[in-house]
Amino acid sequence: MSTAATPQGAPIEVRDLTKTFGSFTAVDRLSFTVEPGRITGFLGPNGAGKTTTLRMLLGLVHATSGTATIDGRDYRDLDHPQSMVGSALEATNFHPGRSGRDHLRVLAAAGGLPMSRVDELLELTGIPAAARKRAGEYSMGMRQRLGLAAALLGDPRVLILDEPSNGLDPEGIRWLRGFLRHLSSQGKTILVSSHLLQEVEQTVDDVVIIANGRLVRSGPMAQLRGAPSTIVRTSDADQLAGALRVADVTSTPGRDGELVAETTDMRLVGDVALRAGLPIWELRPRRADLEALYFELTEGTNRNLGAGATPVEADAVSGQEGANE
Amino acid sequence: MGAAIKSEFLKFFTTRLWWGMAIGIFVAGALFAGFFGWAFTSEEAMASGATGIQGSDTQIVNSVYTAGLSVGYLLLLTVGILQIGAEYRHKTISSTLLSTPRRVQAMGAKIVALLGIGAAYGLVSLLGSVSVGAIVLSLRDIDPFPSGSVVRTLALSLLALGLWALIGLGVGILIPNQVAAILVGVGVAWIVEPLLGLGLSFVDALKGVVPYFPSQATNAMVDGVTQNGPDAAQPLSWWAAALVLTAYAAALSAFGTWRTVRQDIS
Repeated sequence: MSTAATPQGAPIEVRDLTKTFGSFTAVDRLSFTVEPGRITGFLGPNGAGKTTTLRMLLGLVHATSGTATIDGRDYRDLDHPQSMVGSALEATNFHPGRSGRDHLRVLAAAGGLPMSRVDELLELTGIPAAARKRAGEYSMGMRQRLGLAAALLGDPRVLILDEPSNGLDPEGIRWLRGFLRHLSSQGKTILVSSHLLQEVEQTVDDVVIIANGRLVRSGPMAQLRGAPSTIVRTSDADQLAGALRVADVTSTPGRDGELVAETTDMRLVGDVALRAGLPIWELRPRRADLEALYFELTEGTNRNLGAGATPVEADAVSGQEGANE
Repeated sequence: MGAAIKSEFLKFFTTRLWWGMAIGIFVAGALFAGFFGWAFTSEEAMASGATGIQGSDTQIVNSVYTAGLSVGYLLLLTVGILQIGAEYRHKTISSTLLSTPRRVQAMGAKIVALLGIGAAYGLVSLLGSVSVGAIVLSLRDIDPFPSGSVVRTLALSLLALGLWALIGLGVGILIPNQVAAILVGVGVAWIVEPLLGLGLSFVDALKGVVPYFPSQATNAMVDGVTQNGPDAAQPLSWWAAALVLTAYAAALSAFGTWRTVRQDIS
């Protein structure tokens, strides 16, 4: 498999996708596009409709209306599905009495793939030693790796993973991140779902955020983060703001007398302050509080929780995340 | 389709179920053939009439060789239920339909594989029953192969097992909980249906339907001795019985395929 021969990834297109179960609308006119060569995070709280969307994309759940296509085609119309799309949906998808290796053999047989791929993938995902053990004895992390091996059997152009870091230890998460990075550098399309933005923040290039089955935000991660800026604290914020304006840097007052300067050039801010004869008490880059933004986008609307409970929980969790940083 | 069929066979032979079943079906074939070979040819039975056993030499031989079939088809019913029930239970149905997204094809592969598995187990069963049965019959000075129709019976017993596996496939889809499916499936085939058949045979208006019951048809297919009283309904001829059992298998597996095609897999 030389890099030249490896076909590029294929786009995923979701258009007005809707799924209702009786009177309950699980997915509501959802539209988004996933580009090849990038890792896209598919985010939303538990119960937002992520899994239902992925299952519709994979032809397992019938859409009520709308379309979900891969390379312009329905999953069910793909001639060699495993070579187009690899997917890992749940880590429990294994017969406990069948060995990991046999599980892969069953799938390879169904796709008409050479059995040599089975051992290659066991090696690649780092579980060759466990291959002959019954899957029932696997740890969650091993199941995730086996699921990933299954997804990659056909060397697919598109990879769809549902909560792949569930149950992985920090070392496993790091491994997964590097692994996905490597695959996306080959031009593959990668869609990774997660209920935590923080979990995929360092992995993904693009995000699609849904809540209650509806799209709330999609686009590049950088756009979500917003323009990078610098926080500076001094004795007279107004005077510094004026001095910065002269140096062509826009700034806005922040909390507690902070000034937020729309630049990443901290040296410039320091030089301007020195020339204005103002002391610098604090100077640091501002990172967008993605976690807070994420909860803002998805909070208060979670249909699976009581009305009052959600904001409290969101605050508590985001506060906790802040403390960890 | 060929790839999907191969995958179904691999599924079956990569868990421990298959050799347990193989031992069970071999032992059942051997034991029942030995026992019935001895019982049907005992002097009281040969004196005829007394025990109600009626049949030609060929029918006696047929009965001996297929005596284990009553256990065999229950086991194959279970195999059929498990081939789909285990997929629901362990959620491997998702992987199955991801690698074979055209569901009619995925189900077709199961149907073909189950017919093959049924026939393979049939051979295992016959290995036990014909070897032991032929020895017992020879000891009783009865020709172990009185006519060519014995071969037909042996072949049809393989088909019967495959068809029962397809009935199981349908039952497994009808009742997605595999434990419940096995209990209901085996319970109906083993206890309810024979009792119902017995009960109906006393009702003149209804006794005509009894030969069309699946287990009655299975017995008629292999053309064994009959043990019914003189006023019971006549069993179907072997070919009619084969068609009846095929109809059951076709109806249940078609229903299963239809259900699977429409289903949301979540």
